[in-house]
Amino acid sequence: MCIARVGKVVSMDGGKAEVEFFDGRSLDRVDVSMVGASKGSYVEVFGNLALSQLTPGEARRRRSAWTEIRRAAAAP
Amino acid sequence: MKDDGVLFHAKHAYMPNFLGYCGPDDRGRILEDLQDHRKDEALVSTLRQFEAAFPFLRLIARSTGRDVFDYSVPEAYWIGNGLLERVPKEDFYNFSHRELRGKDPREVRKAFKGAGRTAIPHHTFYVMSTYATSSVADGPSLSNTGAKKVTSLMDDCRISWGKVRRVDGKALLVEYSPVELVDGSIGFGKPRTKRVAYDSAVRPFGEVKKGDEVSMHWNFACEVLTERQVRNLSRFTSQDIDATNRILGSYSRRG
Repeated sequence: MCIARVGKVVSMDGGKAEVEFFDGRSLDRVDVSMVGASKGSYVEVFGNLALSQLTPGEARRRRSAWTEIRRAAAAP
Repeated sequence: MKDDGVLFHAKHAYMPNFLGYCGPDDRGRILEDLQDHRKDEALVSTLRQFEAAFPFLRLIARSTGRDVFDYSVPEAYWIGNGLLERVPKEDFYNFSHRELRGKDPREVRKAFKGAGRTAIPHHTFYVMSTYATSSVADGPSLSNTGAKKVTSLMDDCRISWGKVRRVDGKALLVEYSPVELVDGSIGFGKPRTKRVAYDSAVRPFGEVKKGDEVSMHWNFACEVLTERQVRNLSRFTSQDIDATNRILGSYSRRG
């Protein structure tokens, strides 16, 4: 099961990027070629493919929602 | 709790977790439990930490009066069964806004508006509708230049199924029908074979043989399916494809 996650591009290597997600985890070799991202961009990643690029404001809003979903998932 | 449901769920959740796409960051643990056929509270705790899969199980369980790990619940989510039709559409819509909060609400609205009553809480619908509603520079993902890339990933991310043609060391050669994009719509392509990983220590793969039908997730063989499960997976995947094409059609109608 995959989930669409929002993170920040922390490094680039050609069309692939290392993306750091809001929970502190990261994923390397994310394909960002469809969204034209660069270092510092916020992207929505599904599997290992970036599907969209977000503004910093939108990323903050999604970060808040992400925090809630993590909290809900951890609840008994 | 019906234990088989825990292991059935774990088999299908394992590979995307191993790849780092979802769930907690203890990637080898699920496979160790599967190899040992161990279904304890620690595994349940791990599975509860999947940010999307577990909320979907909760929705199906809540709407149908089942335990969340009753075998029929993860079976409904990954494979499909009659429980999916007992989840009220309103429950699914509200769940998608309130409990899948990592998702963009605009994308949720697009998915439900396009799919209408064909939207079901089936893993493949979640996968396909997410790809179909995520916006990139020139519109929905499936109608832009990255379409082949997207459909290939969609094919890996959905639960697919196929017939084992050869058991070959640590891999199975499986004949299956890929999901492809043709003229702006998705559908099943011509059958082809591909190699998928499997683990003979995970039951019942020690006895897997030519002719068996298996479910696959991210090129990993998850489970040997019954005839009923193959029929259901085929039926509900076809429904998901139809729903996704409706979503894509709603974009083109809007112009």
